[in-house]
Amino acid sequence: MKTSESEYRVEMTGISKCFGVVKVLENVNIKVKPGEIHALLGENGAGKSTLIKILSGVHPKDSGKIVLNGKEINPKNPHEGQVLGISVVYQELSLVNDLSVAENIYLHKLGSRKFWMNWKKITQDAQELIDSLGFKIDASAKVRSLSIVQKQVVEIAKALSEDTKVLVLDEPTTVFDPTDIKKLFENLFKLKEKGISIIYISHHLDEIFKIADSVTVLRDGVDTGSMAVSDTNKDGVIRLMIGRELKDLFPVRDVKIGEVPILEVKNLTAKNTLVHDVSFSVRPGEVLGIAGLGGSGRTETAKLIFGADKKKSGTLILNGKEIKTKSPVDAAGHQIGFVSEDRKEEGVFLPLSIRRNISVTNFDSISSKLGFINVDNEYKKVLGLIEKLNIKTPNSEINVKNLSGGNQQKVALAKWLSIDSKVIFIDEPTRGVDVGAKIEIYKLINEVAKKGVGVVVISSDMPEIMGISDRILVMHKGTFYGELQKDQFSEENILRYSIGEPLKQ
Amino acid sequence: MALTLKQQLSSPGGILKFLVKYNTIFIFIVLVIFSALISDVFLTSVNLSNLLKQVSGLGIISIGMLIVILTGGIDLSVGSMVALLAVIFALLVNMVILPVAILLTIIIGFSLGSVSGYLVAYQKMAPFVATLALMTIARGLGFIYSKGSPITFKTPGGEFMSNFANNSTLGIPNIAIVFFIIVIMTMVMLRYNVFGRLIIAIGSNEEASRLSGIKVNKYKFLVYAISGALAATAAIIVASRTNLGSPNMGMAWELDAIAAVVIGGASLNGGRGTAINTLMGVLILGLIGNILNLLNVPSYPQQVVKGVIIIFAVLLQRFESK
Ligand SMILES: Nc1ncnc2c1ncn2[C@@H]1O[C@H](COP(=O)(O)OP(=O)(O)OP(=O)(O)O)[C@@H](O)[C@H]1O
Ligand SMILES: [Mg+2]
Repeated sequence: MKTSESEYRVEMTGISKCFGVVKVLENVNIKVKPGEIHALLGENGAGKSTLIKILSGVHPKDSGKIVLNGKEINPKNPHEGQVLGISVVYQELSLVNDLSVAENIYLHKLGSRKFWMNWKKITQDAQELIDSLGFKIDASAKVRSLSIVQKQVVEIAKALSEDTKVLVLDEPTTVFDPTDIKKLFENLFKLKEKGISIIYISHHLDEIFKIADSVTVLRDGVDTGSMAVSDTNKDGVIRLMIGRELKDLFPVRDVKIGEVPILEVKNLTAKNTLVHDVSFSVRPGEVLGIAGLGGSGRTETAKLIFGADKKKSGTLILNGKEIKTKSPVDAAGHQIGFVSEDRKEEGVFLPLSIRRNISVTNFDSISSKLGFINVDNEYKKVLGLIEKLNIKTPNSEINVKNLSGGNQQKVALAKWLSIDSKVIFIDEPTRGVDVGAKIEIYKLINEVAKKGVGVVVISSDMPEIMGISDRILVMHKGTFYGELQKDQFSEENILRYSIGEPLKQ
Repeated sequence: MALTLKQQLSSPGGILKFLVKYNTIFIFIVLVIFSALISDVFLTSVNLSNLLKQVSGLGIISIGMLIVILTGGIDLSVGSMVALLAVIFALLVNMVILPVAILLTIIIGFSLGSVSGYLVAYQKMAPFVATLALMTIARGLGFIYSKGSPITFKTPGGEFMSNFANNSTLGIPNIAIVFFIIVIMTMVMLRYNVFGRLIIAIGSNEEASRLSGIKVNKYKFLVYAISGALAATAAIIVASRTNLGSPNMGMAWELDAIAAVVIGGASLNGGRGTAINTLMGVLILGLIGNILNLLNVPSYPQQVVKGVIIIFAVLLQRFESK
């Protein structure tokens, strides 16, 4: 066994990778020292996740070399990667819904050790692990019952084990609110002190400048070099990522907001969730932001109105008329739309092509009375949306599961933003979307609003929700705690309401 | 648009990929060539038209099975439904005029399928369980209505049907024409009709479908009802060929239908499968039986070969999805 004096914990050099005929990575290099947090940046589809999956053994590389602790490695599957000390929190959740939190956390350790497992002890250990991370989750709960934020925490807990040498986090905070992010960062700093190397992928550049030591930017599968974070700034990184300057992240809104509410919600209370006594209204042309901590009931509120969850009481008034939304079918019939935050489970059809995904909500405009689809129109519509949202793909027939995460998000959005709605709820609109594409999505939201649609945006991303909303409602423990007008927008104010405190005078 | 992923026109292994992608058709062609080589009877028109007649009934229920499987479900009742509906058709043919008999049989098939559909879609029963129950119910009813013995056609209407089922038009057996029309209609429906698109969407992600405002329950209900109607069509054909309806018809056909659909590359998880490939699956199954018969292989080894082919076909598909 050869040990070198290299100062790096892990070195990937000259990595190239093709999927079929599509070249995804070309001669990429990345090196991380022990105790270093290394940010990996790049546009949607740049190849970040693919690089990580090569490191961990999910995908084989076509060429290049991976060196861990001075020794060349070639993990052939994720299990081998894990045994070597490479732990990854993948971009898409990969938990087993029907197992408990504890079982999921220790699942990958099964096969390797003893025949019998002491489940009681494992549940205890898992509980301790989660507690030590500072989150509140019951280790014996079934994963199915968790919120998406909690699932993400379980993913992180699962990746941590005593022999982790390299920890990779692929966009871990897309569903986190600021307090969750803070907790995660504290944990990362602790790991860093222990000498663990961390590779951190995110489209939230602020995060990078808070925690990373060094950064590598990928552009279209080629690395543009690595540097210390102190040697660059946000604009510099963006220039490397997208090859141009970015001016205004939030496009100016010149929408006329109607006087009469398009949707009024009165005293809505859920049957099975914590949502209660929710009242608000949204006007045509308005972008209404819903802020709040993870688990405060934002998603549940949207689902309740959309008919995906059961209501106990309350009324909905659309255009002055009371409506009932017992199911999403009813809601869609009333032209209410809903884009889920959980794109993999609830948003897109992974095994189907981009075209088939987008068409699903668009049949009214592309088919005849008898339900026959005008394929020309279909292509026109879909290709138009691919171009408009800058979905990175060779053509419309690629299956969505082969798109990068951010591009999948764009497909999920395209499904709803392309149809005529009266009100649309968008839960985390830019989850996993790169800075350049975010602007396109914000523009699209504005365009939709301009048509007189009431747009309700749920977001944990503070700059985003302040940048695009006309008004923000803040949820706390299942109901709205307060409302902020544009001149009151600030992170502090949102956070105060989120934790159930009044504003400072 | 940032299209950096250049599509190269040719790539090494392109031919192999093509074969893997169209493996069902490939297997079919190989089997045809192989059969033609080892038996000189195989390519005679008598044999080919016999082969087509033999697979048409199974083929029609396989199409029903396909659309159920596309939604992520399964319909175990189709074989028994063929038996029950063949008995019902024979009884009806002897009682009312032919068009009414045909129509009633199809309506009854649709209704029986609706029972499965109702249980699955609205009572959230597992498709396996609901259709298993229907399977034994239908078989039992078949025996009850026929009092255990075959019912022969006795009317001119029955004679007409039997002529129709045993004759050919332009060299193609009439019942095979019925089967092909159903295949083509299904093909068109799956590709160009909203109904087809939606059942595929439901099969590939039910929750996302629900949240896209799709009437998931309605479509799940409908596919079982349609499968029932197709079972009725198959029953009419099978009964007409033999001039009788018997409660022993369609024994284990549900398994052959599933096999045909799976050989045709459909995923039992739903969301993937085409009518043309199911047609290939049906023909492959029929071919295997046909050639082994020509070679005088007894039926037990035939079953072994059938099983091996299924494994082989599915293994090839796994290769493809990688
Ligand atoms: N299994 C696959 N088969 C074919 N193409 C793939 C596959 N996985 C990824 N790709 C393609 O490789 C490219 C890089 O994808 P990757 O997921 O690495 O991007 P990413 O940088 O992580 O983007 P994002 O920020 O959106 O997560 C994309 O164009 C994607 O479509
Ligand atoms: Mg990614």
